[in-house]
Amino acid sequence: MWAVIKKELKSYFTTPIGYVFIGVFLIAFSVSFYFTVIGYGNINFEYIYLSLPTILVLAFIIPLLTMRSIAEERKTGTEQLLLTSPLSITKMILGKFISATIIVIITEICTLMYFAIICHYGIPHITTALATMLGFLLFCMSYISFGILASSITENQIIAGIISIGFFIITWVLPDFNENLSGFSFINMFYKYTQGQIDIADTVTFITFTITCILLTITFMQRRKSVK
Amino acid sequence: MIEVKNVTKKYGKVVAVDNISFTIQDGEIIGLLGPNGAGKSTTMNMITGYIEPTEGTIIIDNYDISKRPKKAKKEIGYMPEGVPLYTDMTVKEFITYMAEIKKIDKKERKEKVEKIIEETGLKEVEKKITKNLSRGYKQRVSLAGALVGEPKILILDEPTVGLDPKQITEIRKLIKDLGKKHTIILSSHILSEVSQICQKVIIINKGKIVAIDTPENLENKVSNKNSLYVTVEDTENKIEKVTKKIKEITKIELIKENEDKTKEYLIESKLDTDLRKILFQEFAKENITIFEMKKADTTLEDAFMKLIEGGN
Repeated sequence: MWAVIKKELKSYFTTPIGYVFIGVFLIAFSVSFYFTVIGYGNINFEYIYLSLPTILVLAFIIPLLTMRSIAEERKTGTEQLLLTSPLSITKMILGKFISATIIVIITEICTLMYFAIICHYGIPHITTALATMLGFLLFCMSYISFGILASSITENQIIAGIISIGFFIITWVLPDFNENLSGFSFINMFYKYTQGQIDIADTVTFITFTITCILLTITFMQRRKSVK
Repeated sequence: MIEVKNVTKKYGKVVAVDNISFTIQDGEIIGLLGPNGAGKSTTMNMITGYIEPTEGTIIIDNYDISKRPKKAKKEIGYMPEGVPLYTDMTVKEFITYMAEIKKIDKKERKEKVEKIIEETGLKEVEKKITKNLSRGYKQRVSLAGALVGEPKILILDEPTVGLDPKQITEIRKLIKDLGKKHTIILSSHILSEVSQICQKVIIINKGKIVAIDTPENLENKVSNKNSLYVTVEDTENKIEKVTKKIKEITKIELIKENEDKTKEYLIESKLDTDLRKILFQEFAKENITIFEMKKADTTLEDAFMKLIEGGN
């Protein structure tokens, strides 16, 4: 599994994808930093995380991170190399999931410099900031696992990307149409973390969703062996 | 040892491989032969565990590939059709990655990768990105990837497709050398290649095994007559008369008349008689000069065509 993680991380940074993800996110982060901290004089780190520019940008860059993970392997045929090696499908998928998660963690670490700047203006609430970062990580992990699932059902990365973007937007705007659906919104769940509360139910939901997607991906891959 | 027992593979309603069984002993080089779409790649994909058979079992060195895939896959090095490579890696990185996913011990990894690079003649390109390599080198990189981990069994899907003649001879030589240490299954539709490299041939057509035998036996099996090409100078046109006298001849046919007034005939007899001596003596009596006489060998090509047509 470590081999897959290492290889995936390397390929994120030999292709522009890794840089684009971190770069674009930090640009959006800077924009909301400018408005909340410089503009309104707010020293709440969590406000920057839960702002329109960052969430909007996420809808596009998380699929960017995951869309090629399996679709490309399938298209170029390198999938055959992996599936005929002693490496199990579970480890292969987990490797891909973990490497994408590591990119998110690297991005979060980069955002700490904004935290440092905020500290210059006042004393931000550290626990809330940490809860927000944890929530953000779980939030991203859910979408990453869904993105990998989307990537496993097609050999066209663009389709995989569009499915993931579509899913992100639907889960984002759905509560606006019907209040009963607000429980399904990942953003609403993430919102609670930014309030400094780590809700057990929400945490469990995020983790369950992630695990379900990974299990589904593994099942799909395994099933393809006998159907293909 | 590879045991394929009653294996069937269906894609929906289409039967790609239909109840095939064969056994391959250690150290054999086997050629899988068949027209396009015969089920060669499907068979190979099932042996490597890339796809599951619909029915039947495949046993690699006592491990069932479906039930103990990890153990079984460790014994197999696979070079898929169309040589898939990670295009953003260098040759060395690719081979190292293959070594990693094949779980080669970290201490030995570097040394083994170096050894394989040497063996497959990739030393001069080891730092190049695989995307920029020529077809021949890509093929070698893929083969090197299959060789990592010293698998007992090598499965090569059309290893010489798309290569120039020089590269083909190089790869063939490499495969022959590898055959000393590994059991090899290779698929091909180039018959001469198979008869040169392989000790045994499995001919598949429409998902069924048509024949399993050595190339020589296959050639002999389908030939039911002895044919000779004879070029003679026969100014008095006596050949028809002479040949009529020889009872063993079953058929004589003029192939072509050459510019130097010699004529080429195809003369056939039954399988158990050798006409050469008789013809030499009889022609000499009648003043017919033999310029050339050669046996018309049935090639693997003929065998292949016959078996395939027979199957239809």
